[in-house]
Amino acid sequence: MIDEKKLAKIVGATNVSHNPATLEEYAGDMSFVKPIKPDYVVKPRNAKDIDKLVNLAKETLTPLVPVSSGAPHFRGDTIPGIGGAVIVDLSDMKRIIRVDRMNRVAMVEPGVTFEELIPAVEKEGLRLNMPLLPRKSKSVIGSMLEREPVVMPKYHWDISDPLACVEVIFGTGEMFRTGAAAGPGTIEEQWAVGASQKEAAGPAQVSWHRLIQGAQGTMGIVTWASLRCELLPSIEEPFLVGSSQLDKLLELVHWLTRLQLVNECFILNNINLAAIMAKKFPDDYQDIKDSLPPWTLFFNIAGYEYLPEKRISYQIKDTTDIAQRTGLEPVGAVSRVSALELLKAVQRPSKEPYWKLRYQGGCHDIFFITINDKLPGLISAMYDMADEAGYPASDMGIYLQPIVQGVNCHCEFNLFYDPENPSQSERVRKLATSTINNLMAKGAFFSRPYGESTDIIINRDAASVAALKKVKSILDPNHVMNPGKLCF
Amino acid sequence: MALEDYRKDMELCAKCSICKFIPLEKMKGVQPANVCPSISKYNFNAYSGGGRVNIGMAMLDNRLEYTDKLLHIIYNCQMCGACDVSCKYAMDMEVLEPIYEFRIKAVEEGHTNPALDKVINSLRKQGTMVPGAKAKRGEWAKGLGLKDFTRQKTKVVYHVGCLTSYDKDMWKTARATVNLLNKAGVDFGIGGENESCCGGRAYQMGYETDFIRQAQNNMALFKQCGVETIVTACADCYHAFKVLYDKFGLKGNLEVLHITEYLDRLIKEGRLKPRKKVAMKVTYHDPCHLGRLGEPYIHWEGKEIPGFQRRFDPPKELMRGTYGIYEPPRDVLRSIPGLKLVEMDRIKEYAWCCGAGGGVNESNPEFSLWTADERIAEAESTGAEALVTACPWCEKNFNQAIKECGSSLKVYDVVELLEKAI
Amino acid sequence: MALDKDIYRAFEDVVGPDNISDDPAILDSYSYRWGPQTETFGQRFAAITLPKDTAEVQAIVRLCNKYGIQFKASSTGWGSMSNPGGPEVIKMDLRRMDRIIEINEKNMYAVVEPYVISVQLQAELMKRGLNCNIIGAGGNCSAHPYAAHYGGGHMGESTSLRERNILAVEWVTPEGEIVKLGSLGSLGEWFCGDGPGPSLRGITVGHAAPCGGIGVFTKAATKIYHWAGPPIFPIEGVSPQYAPSEIPPNFFYRYYSFPSAKEMVEAQRRIGESEIAFEVMGFNIAMLASNMGTSNDEDYAYFEQFRKLIQGPGFQVILMGNSPQDFEYKKQVLEQIIRETKGESLKPVEDPKIAGALIWRSIRITASIRECFRAGGAFSAALGGTHPYGEEVAYMEAVSKLKKDLIKKGILRDDDGYYLTWPHEHGHLGHAEILIQFRQTPESIDAIMGFSEAAMKMAIDNRYGVPHSLSGMAPDMHDMFGPHASNYNVWQRRLKQAFDPNEVSDSSGYIKGKQQQGVS
Ligand SMILES: Cc1cc2nc3c(=O)[nH]c(=O)nc-3n(C[C@H](O)[C@H](O)[C@H](O)COP(=O)(O)OP(=O)(O)OC[C@H]3O[C@@H](n4cnc5c(N)ncnc54)[C@H](O)[C@@H]3O)c2cc1C
Repeated sequence: MIDEKKLAKIVGATNVSHNPATLEEYAGDMSFVKPIKPDYVVKPRNAKDIDKLVNLAKETLTPLVPVSSGAPHFRGDTIPGIGGAVIVDLSDMKRIIRVDRMNRVAMVEPGVTFEELIPAVEKEGLRLNMPLLPRKSKSVIGSMLEREPVVMPKYHWDISDPLACVEVIFGTGEMFRTGAAAGPGTIEEQWAVGASQKEAAGPAQVSWHRLIQGAQGTMGIVTWASLRCELLPSIEEPFLVGSSQLDKLLELVHWLTRLQLVNECFILNNINLAAIMAKKFPDDYQDIKDSLPPWTLFFNIAGYEYLPEKRISYQIKDTTDIAQRTGLEPVGAVSRVSALELLKAVQRPSKEPYWKLRYQGGCHDIFFITINDKLPGLISAMYDMADEAGYPASDMGIYLQPIVQGVNCHCEFNLFYDPENPSQSERVRKLATSTINNLMAKGAFFSRPYGESTDIIINRDAASVAALKKVKSILDPNHVMNPGKLCF
Repeated sequence: MALEDYRKDMELCAKCSICKFIPLEKMKGVQPANVCPSISKYNFNAYSGGGRVNIGMAMLDNRLEYTDKLLHIIYNCQMCGACDVSCKYAMDMEVLEPIYEFRIKAVEEGHTNPALDKVINSLRKQGTMVPGAKAKRGEWAKGLGLKDFTRQKTKVVYHVGCLTSYDKDMWKTARATVNLLNKAGVDFGIGGENESCCGGRAYQMGYETDFIRQAQNNMALFKQCGVETIVTACADCYHAFKVLYDKFGLKGNLEVLHITEYLDRLIKEGRLKPRKKVAMKVTYHDPCHLGRLGEPYIHWEGKEIPGFQRRFDPPKELMRGTYGIYEPPRDVLRSIPGLKLVEMDRIKEYAWCCGAGGGVNESNPEFSLWTADERIAEAESTGAEALVTACPWCEKNFNQAIKECGSSLKVYDVVELLEKAI
Repeated sequence: MALDKDIYRAFEDVVGPDNISDDPAILDSYSYRWGPQTETFGQRFAAITLPKDTAEVQAIVRLCNKYGIQFKASSTGWGSMSNPGGPEVIKMDLRRMDRIIEINEKNMYAVVEPYVISVQLQAELMKRGLNCNIIGAGGNCSAHPYAAHYGGGHMGESTSLRERNILAVEWVTPEGEIVKLGSLGSLGEWFCGDGPGPSLRGITVGHAAPCGGIGVFTKAATKIYHWAGPPIFPIEGVSPQYAPSEIPPNFFYRYYSFPSAKEMVEAQRRIGESEIAFEVMGFNIAMLASNMGTSNDEDYAYFEQFRKLIQGPGFQVILMGNSPQDFEYKKQVLEQIIRETKGESLKPVEDPKIAGALIWRSIRITASIRECFRAGGAFSAALGGTHPYGEEVAYMEAVSKLKKDLIKKGILRDDDGYYLTWPHEHGHLGHAEILIQFRQTPESIDAIMGFSEAAMKMAIDNRYGVPHSLSGMAPDMHDMFGPHASNYNVWQRRLKQAFDPNEVSDSSGYIKGKQQQGVS
């Protein structure tokens, strides 16, 4: 076990804990991943602390598990993979380093949450391309590093968006800055000549940010990141389109994203939409759910600085024309759900308690990337498998998020359950892993594998695993960074 | 001119590869994209227009010996000029000229191709590029009662060309031509056994001296007989008389017309009236030496203006294929009642070669037919029942390829179809 | 250097005798050099091979490992970075790999082999109402995203750039493994290139291409975009007098010049933020003249005419409306922005015939050869990848002073010292370069080399960014720039060592596994 004094010397005694209750908090999460207690939890204050911690870990071969968001965690990625680990909890690093209106970019430390960053960028006339209703404690950096889908596909040019540059301490103990941030000069010197750490690729012939994203902390610890921001619209007009025919909605989504007509744009099934909009459970939830069509598409049209009313009005006409071609009608409200209310909701993190937990107290997500044509087959397969496993279809939330400007679709099955109910939990756990192969066979690409299903997913392609291991051997040759995750 | 004289042009090659493709603004899909048969078949860069000028530079810099491969490169080009047109969309540089000069240099230095030597021997002995005796050159016209311009003065001379004269399959075109000229009341004569090869194909093969000898002899004869206008139905002859003779300062005031130009003129003057319906859907193949290479030669003398862009005083206009003979054959076809003309993808200045030019037909028949096959497939894709051209070499090559590949496409000369309509 | 006979035969067994050659004539057609060079011919390859598919590429790579011979793959081979780095390098000319594997209209991606040129892909896409990014070098370059050096071009405002457009990729690593990135490895599908887990896209390309230094990319999927224009552009006339018969409905073209770079940057920002432009291309007027001139004389005349008509730096804008009302809105906003930023339209190019031709030429990108090579030139001085447009322009303004010095000395063509700029992704980022045109003389080449070095030094010393060598990233450059930029050279070298232990993937445009002596 690593010497506590050494840790205390780096982060200060008050920022090291081995209080059993604290350790217990980090030992497990809402996922089905087996709990493993860490030895310590440390809370670094800045990049220097992190640098020293990684170097100490390297020397002592101590596993480090970086954590940016606050609890509850859902995916098992912040549970130590092996014993003797030190949790590096970055949630206290809360500096919003810069918001740059001209270049539409912000720079933050890992502990900054959406709730904290949104007002800061709004003050400058900017906004974030957010994941759907993240929990209040969700770190902005955490979300970007996980390549979480975002709700405005139009501004999601690349799957790595909105992440721009990062400063990272690799497992080797060396500091590195990715993209334009790499240099020359200090960050401040770069600002002085109009630079803004926005180009993510590079430096030169490697795009390092891509190796850090999706790595679940197995390559290094990010000390800050910059991110693309978008302009705050001056006016907005959101719409809902309800339908029982998913294929028609997907056709409409295709055109809305292809023509880049809309900002926020996603589809929810009645269960998820009710779970998001219901104020009182279970009655309110049940009423909304029953009143909704099986699928609802949400999209939002916006005007900016120039002729915003004109823009909104012709875009409404254009979207309505397209919708009519597909036999659909965008409206301001579908049964009891108002588009405006939903818009307001999704432009902020989830209210407490987290929307996924409100209904039954637990939720397990199965998510993957696919393309529109494969969705109906995947959804029907999932219903069949849920049915077989005895999981009620009426409880399964579905969230379809077009990403990468409509090239891909993130598909998420939200299995709501009562974690206090062992048989329900077990059913969901089994379902979560047993479905993977079948879904893959039908075109589900699990680009972000977590927990128990990781092996089935990642071992599909031995050549990629071998390549990933080579990368790992360069960035974290001593395997101190979150060991046991992915294929490492 | 010699290869060395094109050094400054060759130095301008930027390896951009547009010489390999049809002009980019004209591309309509993934295929057809290629314009050069040689690089399309052999793939190594040396077989492209750009690659050829690159190795031309290497030759000048004494970096190369004549290897079998180099000779293969030199002789496996139809001299179709497509690379030249594509390049000159962007650049003011000669491409085809140095390619000619490279081949001429090889010939002059004794690195000839045996198959081509054989052809040239026949030229030297019999005045023809296809096997045949001088005395039999006029056989096709037996019984037609045509004037011999060497004996009877006629303003217009119909120059038949080697292939049409000796290949019996081609006689129909010559006879149709005669028929049409007669119908239009044209006073014309032929050379018969006194007709001699224009020399154009010898030039394409790199035998410049043989070409010049032919040209000089022909022009001497024309002058002596007071010939003012030459009409030919062969694109190679047309190019030789009109462009090459002019290039070498031998053309004088001779008016050179391709039969399609002449027929177009006669139709527009009302001297020929196509009235009979020819219900057929056809597509037209632009022969390289009538189309992109058929534009008038531009003489220029002057000096380069010092500066960064290569400019000249007086301004030097390049031959870019812009003024080739594209519309007259099409207008003739359009004048035929019932005939529907559909276009292939590669037409006019960026037409794909039939494969017969540059001596390839004689030295590498397989490559020649491969090139024709590609065109036949393109013609078929238009839904046309016939491929119409305006050169016996194209016609012959297409027919042979069709025979081998079993296509149902028919091949006609423009003249034949017009004859049907009159 | 000639290959040993047995080794040659081993390669011949892979591709067949017609598809390999070490004849000097074949070799010299690859070793000819353009651009600022003292020698017309560079290093010859040991042999040229023409593999037809991934299996043959893999077999060649394996043989290279076996015999300790290097390889370099290329697409159309325009880039000087496709030249060999030494005598024992085999060329893989990927000419025979020329298929569009898939165009997925509904999911907006296309999969290509290396010898599909951008025009082929674009023409095929337009028939389906779609369009692709084309690099500024032109539609004659490969559509395969790994061939482009930096990967951006005229339509960057609406079609982004290479690094961000790549989806799944098939990669033959320097060790001869076939790695299939993203959904291709997991499912055999092309729609996503990232994951599972960290994205291997990161090691295959950065803001610059690996220039042959990290294996061969045999197929790649790339994102495509909506096209509201006609399926086939109505081009009429005979080369080079091409012009469309009409400007398609809902298209608009203007060239604007501004009193100074400050107003130009501001106009660009507003255009980007209002998301109205299909293309914003900051041609200088010399380049614009090249796009219009069908000969050197015309080119010269247009330039002389335009230089008297402009206020200062400028750009051309192409609007494309997805509907009449979309178009009207975009036009109105553009006019307002131009008024506010004191832009002035260049009147002669308002002529619909000229504007029509320029629209097409700039979308298909057919005139870069004219822009660069009519006067014998090269693009020089750029920051790697993209940066904020304003920063790019600031760097260009500084470098343009160096250019003007050389113009004064008569070494460079006098194009008033301008540079070219263009934004990406509705102004989120931008890129800029400077075109220099010169006559090949020993003095001019020295001066140009000096200019390039000074421009690079300025990029580093003034903290603009890691420079982008336009002739490939020579290994020693990485060791020069790396220490100023997070020691990226050290990290990139580690990747090189791990993925190419035998150093067979020619690194003359990448980084060498071993650091060269004498370079810090
Ligand atoms: C006038 C001019 C303008 C230019 N403007 C731009 C511009 O605006 N934007 C831009 O991005 N670039 C520009 N460039 C540089 C340009 O990127 C390259 O010249 C161009 O990409 C070459 O394309 P290509 O098909 O000829 O590639 P090649 O020359 O064949 O290859 C380029 C490099 O990629 C490697 N390569 C090619 N294919 C593969 C493959 N399948 N697998 C592995 N390696 C491969 C080669 O080894 C070589 O190092 C310009 C160049 C010129 C000459």
